[in-house]
Amino acid sequence: MSEINHSTSVAEHLLTIDGHWDFQYSYFAGKSASRFFEGLRNREILGSVCPQCERVLVPARGFCDACFVDTTEWRAVSEHGTLEAFTILTSSFPGLPEPPLVVGYVKLDGASTAVLNFVKGIDLTDFDEAGAQLLTQPRVRLQFKEECEGRITDFYFVIEGSE
Amino acid sequence: MTARHDLAIAGVGQTPYRRRHEGSTQELVQSAVGLALADAGVAHRDIDIVIGGFAPDGLAGENSPDKRFLPSAGAVGKWSMRINTGGTTGIAAAYAAMDLLEAGHGDLALVVAVERMAQAKSVPAIFNSIFDPIYERDTGLSTVSMAALRASRMMKRWGYTVEQWAQIAGRNFDHAKLNPLAQIRSGYSADDVLKSRLLSWPIRQLDACPVSEGVCAMVIGRSSALGSAALAHVRGRATYTDTYNMGDRIGRPEGDLVELLTLKKASEGALLEAGIQSAMQADVIEIHAPFDSAEAMAYGPLGLCDYADGPALIDSGFGHRDTAGTVINPSGGPQAANPVGATALIRLAEAALQVRGKAEDRQVPDASLAIATGQGGSTQFSTCTVLSRE
Repeated sequence: MSEINHSTSVAEHLLTIDGHWDFQYSYFAGKSASRFFEGLRNREILGSVCPQCERVLVPARGFCDACFVDTTEWRAVSEHGTLEAFTILTSSFPGLPEPPLVVGYVKLDGASTAVLNFVKGIDLTDFDEAGAQLLTQPRVRLQFKEECEGRITDFYFVIEGSE
Repeated sequence: MTARHDLAIAGVGQTPYRRRHEGSTQELVQSAVGLALADAGVAHRDIDIVIGGFAPDGLAGENSPDKRFLPSAGAVGKWSMRINTGGTTGIAAAYAAMDLLEAGHGDLALVVAVERMAQAKSVPAIFNSIFDPIYERDTGLSTVSMAALRASRMMKRWGYTVEQWAQIAGRNFDHAKLNPLAQIRSGYSADDVLKSRLLSWPIRQLDACPVSEGVCAMVIGRSSALGSAALAHVRGRATYTDTYNMGDRIGRPEGDLVELLTLKKASEGALLEAGIQSAMQADVIEIHAPFDSAEAMAYGPLGLCDYADGPALIDSGFGHRDTAGTVINPSGGPQAANPVGATALIRLAEAALQVRGKAEDRQVPDASLAIATGQGGSTQFSTCTVLSRE
């Protein structure tokens, strides 16, 4: 414990003290996200409409942060869309299935914004080949899981024509 | 708008940037501050304002670290506060100091920006915790995958190749060989980059910044209060903020996700204020980009080329200190060391050292005009600062 000789001007060893920061949280989703997640349980994707810029925000927001006005209308959007941006995760990550995994931003038809989620239905044997194919911005279809609990992971995207 | 020609950077103090420092945060802060004061030739008692930047508390594992690191920076008895805007933390702290000086709250300010992430044993999980817990965190979003999503979109839109990005990385690593403060000084080549481990397609290990620690400190003052020391005059600066939501910026008419609207506006504002026609007039540009693809994303917004001409600009060899014209990241930039809470201030510090003629081995000969950028949040906060010798 106290091996430091205080009569010397410099410590022989610089110490480290172990610690933890493993707090638990329960995040408040708020009105609009709660309604969006309720929609997921009914197997629909809800956007909210900004009365000023008329964008359909997906996933739904209670207000448009560009115009800074409340959204005034709910609107269901299509389960079909376009893969706008993607990455292939190749390293394991706490809480995620084993890699490789594809995540991407998809703009669903009828939405003005893109939503992030996992993308399936692509052969990941060769990452560069898969990347080249995904760069074509393929059409995707939204797939709900069998049990929807009201969470963003209730759905994922599947490349059209991959089944 | 009030003229800002009265402010100048008079001193810079930096610890080396390393994977891990054995000293305590307080020791590192005090040491960098001491170097900055000595470089400026001012005493601690002359400082009126102390502003500290510290990135996400979780990385250092100390909640509200301001209470302990600000006094270590000499805040006792002074006007002082802590700033945190993620990657832009360091430059946001400098801007806060400049704002207070311009508002007349003092003549001399000390800015210190800190990163202590080697204390964290679960860095990826902590970086995931910075994202929206309601809609996005479950997808394993990290700073790397966030950059990779942009990189793939840039490949699609403008035809960038991984080979071109590796060239950028190779140039940054080449420059870093001359900077003893840089963490990666082994001079990795573009080929080394392409052979490094894939992290998140298309980003490989050496396309990305390393995990780094260190402290950067700076003395900023009213020119009238500073002696005859070599100064870097603040000629223009601007900052803009975008929405957090990256999906909202995809296909947005006024500026797509990869068009970096905030940096475009910030650089236009800073250049206009400085009375400069083009960023190409700068001798040095320190670009705050932790990834080579992110550096390329800044070229269009800075006006170095049209968005679509980025790949050709890279092919031209632009930015290397051995090539004629503007030198990009003579320090090696964030790819050679990226202490998150400090890195945006380091960009400004390195730009200041260049125009003050104090950049030692990495000095760009006769550099008199330099630009530094800052980039943070979900690439949503941008800053641009123009410095000159005269």
